[in-house]
Amino acid sequence: MLEIKGLTKNFGGLCAVNNFDMTVEKGEFVGLIGPNGAGKSTVFNLVTGFIKPSKGKIIFEDHDITGKSPHAIAKYGIVRTFQANRIFADFTVLQDVWAACHLTNKTGLWEGIFRTSGARKKEQYTLEHAQEILKFTNLESMSQTFAQNLPHGYKRILGIAIALAAQPKLLILDEPLSGMNSEEVAEASNLISRIWKGKTTILLIEHNMRAAMSLCKRLVVINFGEKMAEGLPDEIVRNQEVIKAYLGVNINLA
Amino acid sequence: MNKPAGLTKLFSISAVVLLLFLLPLIIGSQYIMYVLIWLGISIALTSSLRVISLSGLLSIGHGGLTMIGAYTSALLVMKVGLSSWFALILGGVAAGGFTCLIGFPFVRLKGMYFSMVTMFMTEVILMVSEQWKSLTGGSAGIMNIPRPDPIKIAGIIDIDFKSYTDLYYLILILVIVSLIVFYLIEHSRIGRSWQAISRDDLLAESVGINVAAYKVLGFTIGSFFAGVLGAFYSQFYNVITPSEFGFFFSIYILVYMIVGGRRSFIGPVIGCILLLLIPELIGGLGGYRPFIFVAILMAVLYTLPDGMASLPTRLKYTDLGQWFIERFAHA
Amino acid sequence: MLEQSIFNGLMSSGIYVLIAMGLTLVLSILGIVQLAHGEIYMLGAYGVYFLSTMAGLHFLPALLVSMAATGLLGIVLEKIFFRPFRSDPERAVIVAIGLILFLQQAVFLAVGGVPKSLPNPFSGVINVGGIVIPMERLIIVLGALVFIAVLFLLINKTKMGQAMMAVSQDRDSASLYGINIDRTSSFAMFLGCFLAAAAGGLVGSITSVFPGMGGVALIKGIAVIILGGLGSITGAVIGGFIIGMIDGIIPVFFSTQVSSVTGFVIIIVILILRPRGLLGHE
Repeated sequence: MLEIKGLTKNFGGLCAVNNFDMTVEKGEFVGLIGPNGAGKSTVFNLVTGFIKPSKGKIIFEDHDITGKSPHAIAKYGIVRTFQANRIFADFTVLQDVWAACHLTNKTGLWEGIFRTSGARKKEQYTLEHAQEILKFTNLESMSQTFAQNLPHGYKRILGIAIALAAQPKLLILDEPLSGMNSEEVAEASNLISRIWKGKTTILLIEHNMRAAMSLCKRLVVINFGEKMAEGLPDEIVRNQEVIKAYLGVNINLA
Repeated sequence: MNKPAGLTKLFSISAVVLLLFLLPLIIGSQYIMYVLIWLGISIALTSSLRVISLSGLLSIGHGGLTMIGAYTSALLVMKVGLSSWFALILGGVAAGGFTCLIGFPFVRLKGMYFSMVTMFMTEVILMVSEQWKSLTGGSAGIMNIPRPDPIKIAGIIDIDFKSYTDLYYLILILVIVSLIVFYLIEHSRIGRSWQAISRDDLLAESVGINVAAYKVLGFTIGSFFAGVLGAFYSQFYNVITPSEFGFFFSIYILVYMIVGGRRSFIGPVIGCILLLLIPELIGGLGGYRPFIFVAILMAVLYTLPDGMASLPTRLKYTDLGQWFIERFAHA
Repeated sequence: MLEQSIFNGLMSSGIYVLIAMGLTLVLSILGIVQLAHGEIYMLGAYGVYFLSTMAGLHFLPALLVSMAATGLLGIVLEKIFFRPFRSDPERAVIVAIGLILFLQQAVFLAVGGVPKSLPNPFSGVINVGGIVIPMERLIIVLGALVFIAVLFLLINKTKMGQAMMAVSQDRDSASLYGINIDRTSSFAMFLGCFLAAAAGGLVGSITSVFPGMGGVALIKGIAVIILGGLGSITGAVIGGFIIGMIDGIIPVFFSTQVSSVTGFVIIIVILILRPRGLLGHE
């Protein structure tokens, strides 16, 4: 489904990503892990169009999406979440998700402005779609709460709900579990699992090794901008180089 | 969809509109008509600036866009002999077209930087018209611009736009039309995309909204109307010079918008009435007028961050407001 | 003729750089479009006027005192008008607009709109290798160079300078590193106004001083920043130099019509090719 070939990004004199290759097959649940500063965020900002690559190709479902703009890539079916957890402030939770249903709502310009019955039907459909997503992510009870008043853990789930609203074929999650307590991690992991079981391909970028290993079916390890290892979670855990890279920054693998 | 509330709103708006149409019959003074025309122009301009700001763009360059409309219309009418009605629309097209042309690289700029660039563009437009004397008459501008073409329908209508009352009706129609258009667009899918973009443009981009295109769209729509109003202005005031459309023009419109309340649809109306109409009607302040203006400005900025339009909501949450509601709203 | 125009260009560059450096400081450290920067420039010029006519100071001391006083005024303005709106750039712009109107009108009512002239002790010319340079203009160029050097030293060698750079790049992180945002903002405002007053006083010494003189200064300052890049002091220097030289040289060879537009056209071209300016970040 997704093919990354020879991806390279130079920032001034610094080489953030160097000749990185990776594939994700349809229906997979892949994790991209690596120590801080390894280049995980850069890789996936490149894939989702927020940064332009210096070299390399990115192919999604036979479309060359290298260097395309983020909204075009979203239209192709790749949607991401943000590590800094972005939400639409001073909207209610329902409004947030509804706002993200832009791709679902195919109202044309004219019908939108003149409120034809066709437009109203589509708006209704979009509203229902938003409510379904809230139900799926267990946020329904909070649909009238203002997004910025949500507790941190729920804000992150809202971030995922927003991404879901854009109907992704490939969902890329940027450190969705960071800053969560164990209860929130469990709930979020459950949600991510359910999303995957609903036939959405998932690429998870995560620093939390334990969660990454329990959720992902396959792992790719990146360090210093290059692919270091890849394989099943059990194999990665025993990979000496990976252990060295992580222990060097004090991460508990147990 | 709250049916009773929606109907009352529609009813009260219709009543206000009716009153505005009947106003010249009640108030005969041409001076008042003149003031109201200015008010109308300002309201429409401020609302068009607000449309641009809906996608998060704060423009300090509205003067330049208005000027493009004014000069385009004046030149088309006087040098090409075009009908003033076509010139009105083409003034808008020129301004909107200009924005469309240069808009794309600029809308990507960070907020503060974008504002500075719009200010700069107005200076450029001013400078071009000052220097291109053969076309624009230089700093002296263009004089003797004719009033709008008369509307004559045999026996029934004979409007020659010589009096301010005729112009008042014209601007009234322009204001109503533009406000209706702004309202419809704001409550359409376009408006909702703008709402998402203005809150977080990266997030909006990630869910498939073409942020740059939507920003340019808003910018262009606002510019178009600024151009139309500039064209009207040239036909109403009959003289246009570059300097009057400069920095101060742009910042006054911006102030009306923010003081009135940028979030609210009627914010521009409130801002213009407060800062334009009231001082004008009080009159006789002379050199101290800017101080009154600044005082009102500062008072609103410091106490009502969302502008005057947020006053009712704010009052609702005070003790006095709660007392009031309990006493009267449960009658 | 060419040498004269090059020198005039240098002089204009000096002024533009002073204005733009001050504006950049306030822009990037306070995060506000300080539209009243032109009025600060104007106040600096009037400061020199009052100090030299009322207090009888010579030009140079009057200039320095005016600069310091304007800087201090800036600190007060920042505290009252800009600090409450630190996280609200929209309203901060409106406050700045309010200040423009207030300051201009206040000065107009206080001293009238008739242009005043400043005493200029630097009469005469100096002859450098065949080029005749009026002393008063040379002082401007030298003054500008001195201030540019001082600013760069300040930024690179002092703790406050480094703090200012940190705040301009990322205000939230800077406070986490223990940098006092309030103090840094005050200092940046002081410096910005100090430089603006310098420019105002210097320009006033060769032309005249009137309440509306800040308008052109603001526009030139913004043009320089747009060219040189937002947030970059070096950009302000380079941009100021380029625009100053254009303003100095082009009028000699082409009509004034062309010359006023040339600077702007170049900026527009750069804007379209590289919207963030020559040295701007992001």
